[in-house]
Amino acid sequence: MSLFGRSSRRDLHSLAAPYALDALEPHERMRFEKHLKKCDRCTTEVRALSEDAVRLAWSTAAQAPPAMRDRVLAAVRTMPQEAPSRSAAPARPHHLPAHVWGTEPPPPPRRAPRMRSLLAPLATATAAAALVVASLFAVQATRTQDQLEAERDRSREIANILSAPDARATSERDAQGRGIGVVASVKEGRAIVTLSGLDDPPSGSVHQLWLMRPDAQPHSLGLFQGDTPLVTGGMNGDATSLAVTVEPDGGSAQPTSQPITQLALKSVGFGE
Amino acid sequence: MRMPYTRGWPCGPAGAEGERVEADELLVRVARGDQNAFEELYGLVSGPVFGLVRRVVRDPAQSEEVAQEVLLELWRSAARFDPGRGSALSWILTLAHRRAVDRVRSARAATEREQREGMRAHHPAFDQVAEEVEAGLEREWVRHCLDRLTNLQRQSVTLAYYDGYTYREVAEQLSLPLGTVKTRMRDGLTRMRECLGGAA
Repeated sequence: MSLFGRSSRRDLHSLAAPYALDALEPHERMRFEKHLKKCDRCTTEVRALSEDAVRLAWSTAAQAPPAMRDRVLAAVRTMPQEAPSRSAAPARPHHLPAHVWGTEPPPPPRRAPRMRSLLAPLATATAAAALVVASLFAVQATRTQDQLEAERDRSREIANILSAPDARATSERDAQGRGIGVVASVKEGRAIVTLSGLDDPPSGSVHQLWLMRPDAQPHSLGLFQGDTPLVTGGMNGDATSLAVTVEPDGGSAQPTSQPITQLALKSVGFGE
Repeated sequence: MRMPYTRGWPCGPAGAEGERVEADELLVRVARGDQNAFEELYGLVSGPVFGLVRRVVRDPAQSEEVAQEVLLELWRSAARFDPGRGSALSWILTLAHRRAVDRVRSARAATEREQREGMRAHHPAFDQVAEEVEAGLEREWVRHCLDRLTNLQRQSVTLAYYDGYTYREVAEQLSLPLGTVKTRMRDGLTRMRECLGGAA
């Protein structure tokens, strides 16, 4: 950078402490990070100063809101992870760049898909699960405009449910590992419902979700498409449980078979 | 009241190598998609992350929102963590701090004038450390060590780290030249390091 002379380079060195404290403006931050790539001494210094700065954080610990835990843990069940890759490594936009922490090459891919939990089918579902968090994380993918808009609507809906003050999560699995997970808000009357451990329905049939209420017929909440979480309204406050049945394509007005899995809703605030 | 998740946070002289290693291992497992590990990691870091974000952002609702984003980002981006390059706790809190600062700055940009007036009446951030929810011995150590700094070192460090001001804004507030603020920040951090007990 010929624009900046020697004195400017000295200036750059002096930015190590403000950088470690996140006290640079964006353009300075970028310029300094560029400089770091060429300056081993700065890298060492920034690393030490950053550790110092972080120690200031330890004195501020506070009790996180319990509802936040439910929301985060529920969201994680449906949220895809970034795959570690060499091409992704230089992009680290949000935290100290790789070279700040040392000179080692990027780590080898660590992903071991088979080790994922029983809810893995949801977490690995492609566009469907990705759109669950698209609004939060702007997951990029190649889709048509219509699809994008539909997903945006859906993402907004999901974000609304996740951020409802009374949003709660629960899940249940039977001995065969089949189960339902739900994030629901009584106030909004809405829920995000996920299935786990279920075989694909036989060809020509679908998984249909039902809301069970006392003294009332089961009420259809919708049809599952593959592993995609179902976003649904119509969650009456007096609902007692959710049930899933296998129904002919297009769904049924009333269940025509026994539920293959069920979930009580009391722990998420319904039926009271 | 002492929070379980602040137990042994490595601020005091004794350090807490065990927990640091625990967080490192958990984050590596999280990167493999281990949801149980994430739940454990959540227990370990949600308090520090939320507390730090709230310290910087102040507004409770916004703090919760930012803290939630940070924690979800941990899940999503865990694969970026390389234990060879630093501790997981540092990585996590650095991320949380960056996010909190970004939020508070964009909020400030919206109400810059108001904020500027607020600043004048604003006492050094350090004073407010005392109002924070109990963080036990760790808080006392940080406080003790902040006390050991000169006024300008302390103000330079805390206005930046706890209040999210840029060093230019800090210079303006303290009526100091930019170079002086940068030096005070560096000296302040270095003295904190010595006081808190050396290598993190």
